[in-house]
Amino acid sequence: MPGMHRIVVDAMGGDHAPDEIVQGAAEASLALSSAEIILVGDAHVLGRILPKLRHDGARVRVHHAPTYVEMDEKPAEALAAKPEASIAVAADLVARGEGDALVSAGNTGASVLACARRWTLLDGVRRSALAAVYPTELRRGEKDDPFSLILDVGATVDVTAEDLVGFAVMGSAYAKLVSSNRRPRVALLSNGTEAGKGPKEIVAAHAALVETTELNFIGNIEGLDIPRGVADVVVTSGFVGNVVLKMLEGVSDTVVRLARYAHKERLAWRLGLIALSSAIDQLKSITDWQQYGGAPLLGFTHPFIKAHGRSNARAVTNAIKVAHKALAGNLCGNIARTMAELDERSQKKPRASTGSDTSS
Amino acid sequence: MGRRQSLLRRLTGLPIELGERIGLLDHVPPGLPEGAPPPKHTFRWDLDKTYLRTEFDSFADLAKSAFETAADKHAFPGATALLRALKQDGNRICIVSGSPTQMRQVLAAKLALDGIDYDEFVLKNNLKNILKGRFRALRAQVPYKLPAMLRSRIGAPAASETLFGDDAEADAIIYCLYADVVADRVSLQDLERVLIASRAYEDDSERILDLARRVPKGDAIHRIFIHLDRRSPPVGFGRFGPRLVPVFNYFQAALVLYEDKVLSARQVIYVALEMLDSGQYELGHLATSVQDIIRRGRVSRETALQLASEANEAAASGVLSGRTDLPPFEKIAEAFRARVRELGSTPTVVPVELAEPLDYVRLVDEEHEHRRARRKQGMG
Repeated sequence: MPGMHRIVVDAMGGDHAPDEIVQGAAEASLALSSAEIILVGDAHVLGRILPKLRHDGARVRVHHAPTYVEMDEKPAEALAAKPEASIAVAADLVARGEGDALVSAGNTGASVLACARRWTLLDGVRRSALAAVYPTELRRGEKDDPFSLILDVGATVDVTAEDLVGFAVMGSAYAKLVSSNRRPRVALLSNGTEAGKGPKEIVAAHAALVETTELNFIGNIEGLDIPRGVADVVVTSGFVGNVVLKMLEGVSDTVVRLARYAHKERLAWRLGLIALSSAIDQLKSITDWQQYGGAPLLGFTHPFIKAHGRSNARAVTNAIKVAHKALAGNLCGNIARTMAELDERSQKKPRASTGSDTSS
Repeated sequence: MGRRQSLLRRLTGLPIELGERIGLLDHVPPGLPEGAPPPKHTFRWDLDKTYLRTEFDSFADLAKSAFETAADKHAFPGATALLRALKQDGNRICIVSGSPTQMRQVLAAKLALDGIDYDEFVLKNNLKNILKGRFRALRAQVPYKLPAMLRSRIGAPAASETLFGDDAEADAIIYCLYADVVADRVSLQDLERVLIASRAYEDDSERILDLARRVPKGDAIHRIFIHLDRRSPPVGFGRFGPRLVPVFNYFQAALVLYEDKVLSARQVIYVALEMLDSGQYELGHLATSVQDIIRRGRVSRETALQLASEANEAAASGVLSGRTDLPPFEKIAEAFRARVRELGSTPTVVPVELAEPLDYVRLVDEEHEHRRARRKQGMG
C-alpha cells in the first residue's frame, strides 16, 4: 500500500497487555489516517477487546499468535520455547515485508532478540543500539523536548569505536526526526570532557567524530551532564548505558521515596511538599515518559519502538505515533545515507584514524 | 393534499416545492400507484452521517452545511454504489432525513448528481415546529422518524425492509422500535409509554398510535445497518440484537447484504471500486474491513471465501476491465483470503440473540442522558 505505513504492535507484551495495548492501538487508528495497525496476539482475546473501543475497523487488523513471552522470562529461552510468541510473530511479519515498523511494550530482551534474529542491519551499520530517553533541565528542538536520548542501553555490550560512531549517527538522525531538532548536540559519555579521556574506543570514536561534518559533535560529557541536558544525544556502550540508565532510574525512585518519607515524617515538610505540589505536577507533566511513547532500537532496516513495560494506552498510542513518524520521515533511509557518507570519507583516509583496531 | 397542491399552483404559478421550502406545506411522499404490486424490498436510508458526510457537531458546522451547494456535499465512499445496487427488481428506496425541508432542493440535487433514483424523500418541517412553538419537536427524533416510516409502509408495504442509519442520533432505537411495531412485538400501551419518554406532543402521539394500529404487520425488517460515523464502539449496539449490524464502511454493509443474498458478488465489487476510487480506501483497508466484520461474527469465514471465488468469476467476466490501477484480481482475492487466515482458527464473536424484548423507555431515557452529557462536553 503506497503511502500507508503498516505498524505491527505486539498486543500481548507489557504489564497492562492486552487491554491497554489494544486501547492505545485503537486510539492511534483514529489519529493516524495513513497508518494501518496490525495487532499481534490471541485473535480471540483481541477480537473481544477491540469492539469495546472507539477505533477504525478498516485500519486495525489482528494477526493471530497463540502464545507470548512473559515480562520476567529469560529472552533466549522463552523465544526458543515459544516460536509462535506474539513478539516473534510480529518481528517475522516485518521481516517478511508485511509490516513496516514494530512497537512493543513487552519483555525488552526478547523484543530486541526477536528483531536481531530476523531483521537485517542497515548498510554501514555494524551493531544495533537500543536507545532510552531521559528528562533533562534543558529543552530542545521545535517541540521543546525535555528528553535527551541515550544509546546504547543494552543491545550491544562490547563496542568498538566504529560502533560508537554508528550509534552517534543513528541517535542524531532519530533526534532530528522525533524531537524536530535540526542539529542535535551529540556527545560521548566518558570520565572526563578532554578528548584523551576514557577507554581506547572512546578516544578513537572521539577522534573520528570530530572529523564529521554531518553531526553536531560537542565532545565528551560526564555522567553529571546527562540530567543537565548538555547533550541531546548521549553515546555510550550498551554495558555502560544500561548501568547509567538503571542508576538514573534508581535515583529518581529514591527521590520519590524520600519525598514520601518527608510527607509522613513531619507536618512542616508535608506543608512544604503541598506548597510545591503544583510545581511538582508541572514537572511531572513536562517529564512524563508516557507522552514520549517509547525508545527506538536503531540500526535495522525497520524501526522498532520499545514502549515502557508499564505503558498505558496513551503511552502505546504515542509509541505508535513515534513509529509512524520514523516511517514517514524515512529514519532508516537517513541513517543509511549518513553511514554511507561517513564510510566513503573514511575510505579516503588511513583506517587507523577510525580506531578500528580498538574493537574488543 | 392533492387539492391544496393544485390550488397553490393555480394561485402562485410556482412549483409546489416552494411551499415546502419555506415550510408552509408538508411533503407527502407518494405511495404506490393504484393497482401496483407491493415492493419486494424497501430500503430506508437516513441522509446526514449515513449517506452524506455531514458535520453538525457545532453551530459553525450547521451553518456551513446549510450554505453548501449540492456539489459541495460528499457521500460516504461506497454509499452511492450501494444505493444504486439496491434500487433494482422493483425495490423501493425511501429516504427519511432529519434535515429541514428548506434543504430539499440542494439535497435532491445532490442525489440527482449521484444518480440516485429514490421513491420517497421525507425531510423535517422544523419551521412549522418553530411557528407552532413546538420547540421540543425540533430535537425530537422518535416522534418525527417513526411516523414518517410507518406512513411510508402503509403507503407501500414491502415483504422485506432494510434500514440504514448512523451512530450520531437515536437511529438504532428508532429503527428497532419501528421493526418491533411492524412485527407487532410492541403493544400500543408500551408504544405510548415510549412516546411519552420521547417527549412527543400529545397530538403527535395520537397520530403515531393510529399509524401503528394501521401499519401492515409482519416480521419484515430483517436488517438494520448503523454506520459508525463517530466510530462508536460496536459492542454498544449488541444490546439491539443480531439483526442490527454496526459497520465502519459500506463495504462491510455490502458483505453482510451479500451473505443475506440481497447483493451479488459483482455488486459488492462495484461498492469496493467506488471506495477505492474515493482515494480514502486502499485494498488493504477493504481486506481489513472483511477481517473486522468476520471477527465480530457478522459475516462467516465461509461467506468471505465464497465471495472471493465468486468475485473472481465476476472479475473474469469483465467487471474490472480497464482497471489498470489495480493488481490482477487473483492477487486481490489472495490478499483477502490471507487476511481471513490471519485470524487463525480462533472462534469469532457470536452475536447474542435477545433474551427479552427491548426496553424502549429505558433506551430512550439513556439516549437523552447521553445527548445531555454530549451537550455539556460541547460535542453537539
